[in-house]
Amino acid sequence: MIRTSKPYMVFRYTLIAVCGLIMAFPLFYMVSRSFMTPAEVEAMPPRLLPGGLVWENYVEAAKFVTPHVIANSLFVAISIVVMQLALALPAAFALSKVPFRWTGIVMGFLLLPMFIPSSFTLIPTFIVAFKLGMLNTFAGLIIPIGSTISVGILLFRQFFASLPDGLVEAARIDGAGWFRVFWSVTLPLAAPIITTFSVVTFITAWNLYLWPQVIATDPNLAVINVALAPIAGGSTFRYVSPAIGLAGATIGVLPSLLIFIVGQKWLVRGMAAGTGLE
Amino acid sequence: MRVTTNQNPQAQAESDTDVQIKSRRKRRRKDELIAWTLLAPGLIAFAIFVILPGLGALALSFMDWRLFDNPSFVGLKHIVRLFKDQNMWKSLGVTVWFLILGVIPTTVIGFLLAVIASSPLRGAGGLRVLYFTPMIASSAITAVLWSNLYKPKFGIFAQILSAFGAQAPNWMAAPGITRPALAIVLIWSALPVVIILYIAGIQKVPTDVYAAAALDGANKWQQLWSITWPMVFPTTSVIAVLMFITFLGSPLEYALLMTDGGPLGETQTLGLYAFKMAFERRDMGYASALALWQLALIGIAFLVGRSSAKLLRSIR
Repeated sequence: MIRTSKPYMVFRYTLIAVCGLIMAFPLFYMVSRSFMTPAEVEAMPPRLLPGGLVWENYVEAAKFVTPHVIANSLFVAISIVVMQLALALPAAFALSKVPFRWTGIVMGFLLLPMFIPSSFTLIPTFIVAFKLGMLNTFAGLIIPIGSTISVGILLFRQFFASLPDGLVEAARIDGAGWFRVFWSVTLPLAAPIITTFSVVTFITAWNLYLWPQVIATDPNLAVINVALAPIAGGSTFRYVSPAIGLAGATIGVLPSLLIFIVGQKWLVRGMAAGTGLE
Repeated sequence: MRVTTNQNPQAQAESDTDVQIKSRRKRRRKDELIAWTLLAPGLIAFAIFVILPGLGALALSFMDWRLFDNPSFVGLKHIVRLFKDQNMWKSLGVTVWFLILGVIPTTVIGFLLAVIASSPLRGAGGLRVLYFTPMIASSAITAVLWSNLYKPKFGIFAQILSAFGAQAPNWMAAPGITRPALAIVLIWSALPVVIILYIAGIQKVPTDVYAAAALDGANKWQQLWSITWPMVFPTTSVIAVLMFITFLGSPLEYALLMTDGGPLGETQTLGLYAFKMAFERRDMGYASALALWQLALIGIAFLVGRSSAKLLRSIR
């Protein structure tokens, strides 16, 4: 840091680039191969780039990653985001700005599940959803996930608590009720944190696999990851030629990729915030 | 309440007529009522889909239930079966394996990559994005992707090996190889979060500490392990907990997608074993008992972790 020689600088740049390229290589490989002919996929030595763009792979992939599947995934992911916002925002406001004696207990209750892995909650949650008649319904895909509001509560409560109390009191003295203060004073100020949360939650919801796989076995309700799962091998294996499978996966990664390109800052900030470290 | 604090207490006592006390109490009650109203939708949904399942699992652990019949009480049958079940013990071993060979490498590699990615070079910011890319791929997409990388003939690893004249194994179905191969997939997909958190932690370390160390003749490697690593310890402890939870859950998802627990149950964790019990054999009672047993083990692990952390600190 005090003296930097030229070879040392070259070494550092190389190190950053090489490690980054290794991390990003699998995704590059996916996109590149999704445009290859079968002969190019099997070529020895392996080819890094396709000779031309074979769009037929995508036409074939659209037979299992159908527009219907994409529409399902969008609908489910957006509904989950909206539901989590609608539940977590007022609750977080109540827990940070309204005088309330039970804050500690309620927070403990709400944050407990952050320490319980999904592999435990899956089976019991399935049983409850099954008993409520949610098997093979959109409600089953959306509501149980929309109810997991721990991260949202943590994030929004932190934000509301950072707003000066004077702001709320001024509105109260002017005669505004609590609902009004929540809706017209604090909510507009929360727009950036709502965006951050929505971006992270949308990607998480879009990427859900295990829950949709067990709650919606009806192909009409298939979301993107359930449609892609058989290609990976494993329990539901079905053979699809490599380039076509990778074309399907590339379609599936597009929404997250777009959000990632546009909102990388929000995403990174949101992930750090969700753990309570930032 | 804040409004009254700047008045002097005596004046306040004088002004506290019965009516005012009553109205203040009434207002506080009204505030609490509003707080409960705002909380109600969230709390109700949360109680039904997060808390109730836990209690349901507890109850079902003592019942026989095949999903489409009526549950019948069987007492401790499932608990006794659990401790005698060879498959349970085997999958517990697999679970512990994934925890140790998942959490530790991910934390250390994530730390080193974060150090590399956060170096203050011009243009490093653009390259940093590359380190976050795995997080855009869902588990199913990651699984499709890596199952292609791991293809026995045309996958990149097989092609590299055959360039050296070596025969590649069938990565996803070879005993002794599949589990580490799967762990690499899990580590790759878990790394971005770790890198993001460590970058945030590293940026908080004041730069003059490094300058002082450099003056004292400490080289970069020494600075890394005797300044950066101890300075980001709070971040490390959060990451350790986060990765513990991640590596308890993710092997189930990826094994289901890529190996179905094989070969010979080598990638079947406790989570996957319970999953199969529930969704393939429809033995919901025993599956619930397995799920609760997992939860109990997590509780024990946390207690052990916390007390050993306390012990470590007291030794220091």
